[in-house]
Amino acid sequence: MDPRQRPLLHRRLGVFKGLAWSLVALLVLIYAWLQIVRHGEFKQLAMQQAVKIRPIAAPRGLVLDRNGYRLVDNRRALHLVIQREDLPARAEVVQSLAQALELDPAGLMRKIQSYRLAGKGRPLVLKENLDDAGIAQAERVRARFPFLSVDVAPRRVYLGDELAGHVLGYVGEVDEPMMKANPDVFRLGETIGKEGFEASGNDKLKGVDGQRRILVDQLGTEVAHFGQTDAIAGRSLYLTLDAGLQKVMQDAYGEEAGAAVVLDLRDGGILAMYSSPSYDPNLFLNRLSQEMVDRYLNNPARPMINRAIQGIYAPGSTFKLLVALAGLEKGVITPQTVIYCAGKKNFYGRDFRCDKPTGHGGLNLVQAIAQSCDVYFYEVASRLDVDDIYATAEKYGLTERTGIDLPREKRTRIPSRAWKRKAVPKDPKWYAGETISVGIGQGAVGVTPIGLARFYATLATRGKVLTPHLFYGFRSDQTNQLEPAPPPGTKETPLDPKLWAVLDEGLYEVVQSGTAAANPFIREMAREAPFVGKTGTAQVATFVDKSHYARQAKHLKDHALFAGYAPHDKPQIAFAVVVENAGFGSTAAAPIAAKLVKYWFVDRVKNPIPPPRGRMVDPFAPPAEAAE
Amino acid sequence: MKDRVRALDSRLLWVILALMALGTLTLYSAGRNTPQATIWLKQTVWNLMGLALMLLLANTNPRRVLRYSFPAYLLGLAALMAVLVVGKKIGGATRWFVVAGQTFQPSELMKWVTLLYVSQRLGTRPAGNVGRWEVLGAVGLVAFPMLLVQRQPDLGMALSFLPILLIIPLMKGLRARWVVALLLLVTVGGFGAWKFALKPYQKQRVMIFLDPSSDLQGKGYQVNQSRIAIGAGGLIGKGFTSGSQTQLNFLPVKTTDFAFSVWAEERGFLGVLLALGLFGLLLSRILDAAKAAHTTAEAYFCAGAAGIFALHLLVNVGMVAGALPNKGMVLPFFSAGGSSTLSFFLALGLIMGILYRSKVK
Repeated sequence: MDPRQRPLLHRRLGVFKGLAWSLVALLVLIYAWLQIVRHGEFKQLAMQQAVKIRPIAAPRGLVLDRNGYRLVDNRRALHLVIQREDLPARAEVVQSLAQALELDPAGLMRKIQSYRLAGKGRPLVLKENLDDAGIAQAERVRARFPFLSVDVAPRRVYLGDELAGHVLGYVGEVDEPMMKANPDVFRLGETIGKEGFEASGNDKLKGVDGQRRILVDQLGTEVAHFGQTDAIAGRSLYLTLDAGLQKVMQDAYGEEAGAAVVLDLRDGGILAMYSSPSYDPNLFLNRLSQEMVDRYLNNPARPMINRAIQGIYAPGSTFKLLVALAGLEKGVITPQTVIYCAGKKNFYGRDFRCDKPTGHGGLNLVQAIAQSCDVYFYEVASRLDVDDIYATAEKYGLTERTGIDLPREKRTRIPSRAWKRKAVPKDPKWYAGETISVGIGQGAVGVTPIGLARFYATLATRGKVLTPHLFYGFRSDQTNQLEPAPPPGTKETPLDPKLWAVLDEGLYEVVQSGTAAANPFIREMAREAPFVGKTGTAQVATFVDKSHYARQAKHLKDHALFAGYAPHDKPQIAFAVVVENAGFGSTAAAPIAAKLVKYWFVDRVKNPIPPPRGRMVDPFAPPAEAAE
Repeated sequence: MKDRVRALDSRLLWVILALMALGTLTLYSAGRNTPQATIWLKQTVWNLMGLALMLLLANTNPRRVLRYSFPAYLLGLAALMAVLVVGKKIGGATRWFVVAGQTFQPSELMKWVTLLYVSQRLGTRPAGNVGRWEVLGAVGLVAFPMLLVQRQPDLGMALSFLPILLIIPLMKGLRARWVVALLLLVTVGGFGAWKFALKPYQKQRVMIFLDPSSDLQGKGYQVNQSRIAIGAGGLIGKGFTSGSQTQLNFLPVKTTDFAFSVWAEERGFLGVLLALGLFGLLLSRILDAAKAAHTTAEAYFCAGAAGIFALHLLVNVGMVAGALPNKGMVLPFFSAGGSSTLSFFLALGLIMGILYRSKVK
């Protein structure tokens, strides 16, 4: 090396050395910034992604009938899920996952997106209630997509299948509109009651979900587990329902459509409630197939409607008791008033016909009820204003919802001047002739079976307006016995005992000598289990429909009704039975009532029906019909 | 054998052994519970081969090595061209020869060969007799293999050729006009590169560097996880084999590009201080070798080598901390890899040789 060059080179290398140490110092500063100044923040981030809290679904309480028979049970079910933090982001991954699981890719993408938007909650369920083939498929797919996991969760089993579908309802995942409406109450993916008592009794049945704190790796696989808070199962509870009576009711309907209710007169407990056609809640636990949608949701017979609380039927002659009560209380008739029936009578220039074209002749009130004479009640109605009838109906609770502990109960429709102004704004005036139709439970009058049953319960109890209910009490955790809950309140509107005696006698005569007595089966049954009631043959078949009133003269279909109570001397139960498009109340509806009464008072003691088993021995097997 | 070992500079050797130990511990922890559980063993084999190579070169006269730099340079260019044609394509880049199941990356070695040849060319000219054409020629000698490497494409590797040009200011001094020219070159070159030369994925990396949160699941994810690992390490670290980011696989490519994050998470700031201190001593000792060198060419080689080591240090350690774009440049002694390890030890062997000769005389 040129010796003159060396000092210069050394000076420059000295600068290099300085630069090298500056570089080291710069890096040290960067790391000091990250590791000392911002340590807390990064430590938290590291924790957040490695330590996860996974919910443990709490089983819901069991639902028992009044005797402790299981109506709703829990089983274990396996679901294929993705934990929230493991949701695949890339479209190709979603695409191939959908392919592997035989799902619709667009649908899966939408599902993932909507799941991502909502708050923290349970894992996203891809496939529910895996059967053996499903478990095998899930394991195969999991090998390719390690972010999938299999969750064990309790699953509901409805033991009676269609036995009490409308009463029990079913559970499902909380949906988005519901969650948005109550963000503090529900979490996404949570199982809640969707219909029936599962929905209205959700707060009673649901438990408290537990939590597992676990360590996960980058793929979301559980690496370690630091402890958990156990789920607290929901409390089991008793319904007022009697499974045996319910079974009798179900069998009595067969293929017929309609609804029936039996009330316990002591407290308003519902002993049986059936709406036909019914549905099997077990089928609604899985995602609905198109077949299910066609079978249930698009069925013109509308099996999803609980006709007992949502069906509005013209009460027909069963309404005559209320008209009689209105006439008696208003003083336009007395029990002794005799009205002559010639088969028809002219009011306001129009002939109103009686059921019996030849006429009943002269009748007092008891005979008029027993024979169901229309002319008699036309006359009573003509002496009243429609608002008088409404006032009586209001007094005895018929204008309001009964307040049963089921969701979406419909109100009965008792017409009044105010009602018509609102319901028919094109023709708001009330015509006196309309009151005549109301007198025999036609025209705009529409009642729910539960409302009708409660009115007859009010007659049976001489003025108690009960609150029908299903909740009977919780099951004690210590003794496993019923802890009866106080029944909901009762409104007392005392009936004049003299008036009541006349109505009661009228109802007695219906079965003994009147319209229902024509049926030998009824006469025989009434001897075994003395019951009283009123037949009805109603003309208009429609659910709530504003245009109904204008069209009511056209599409006339007869519904058969029977409402009453038993036993006659010391009533314990009241009932209402509606059979759609079945003809006369005495031939179609009264026999069902007779069977119910007979089971309750005779067979229940001697020969009770065993607890419901359901056809689902294997709860994961598809129903027999769907398999075909 | 004892005589031969005596050729090794003890100060440099201790630094190298210490860094090797740190790197091996890091790889042991990074490979745990992964399919790469034995990577620390493989790396130890490479390290031992590297030490042997270093021992051999320390006992070789550097002048003899420099004499072969021109044919080696030509051979290297041929290899870089060949790898573009017959090389193995991994992850969209053609960078590797495959010989008997082992992959070999010619660009790793070529970086050092280019440094050797440029040092030889500029160092053997009489001082003060090096004109601007000589300088431009040297720039061309560096730029040509760089472009070939960028064709693979491998921007990180191409950039690691740049420190060779540090020889020029060492020789000519750091004049204002050179600084201005360099800034101009960087600006124009950067703009031109962005417009014409950079591949989309490279542009993406720059964009992610400018805004790491723009791509948390893709490339930004890696740096983000690395920063979490480093930051979570704190002052004393999470403990050996106890870093959650490392052990639960949140940290990506942790045996190569992000190996230093593993060390930072598990050993904390104190561990980082130790590692960076050792790297400082390494650079410092290499620059000592430059001062002690007998010939100008040897001095230039040492200075260029220090530059290359420094660039690897800056880019890798800065990148894993999110302070520099994600360039994929390995960290000597920490990142696992055969070609790079052997290449680094080859350079260190030459430097040992240079130091030994300066002491012998």
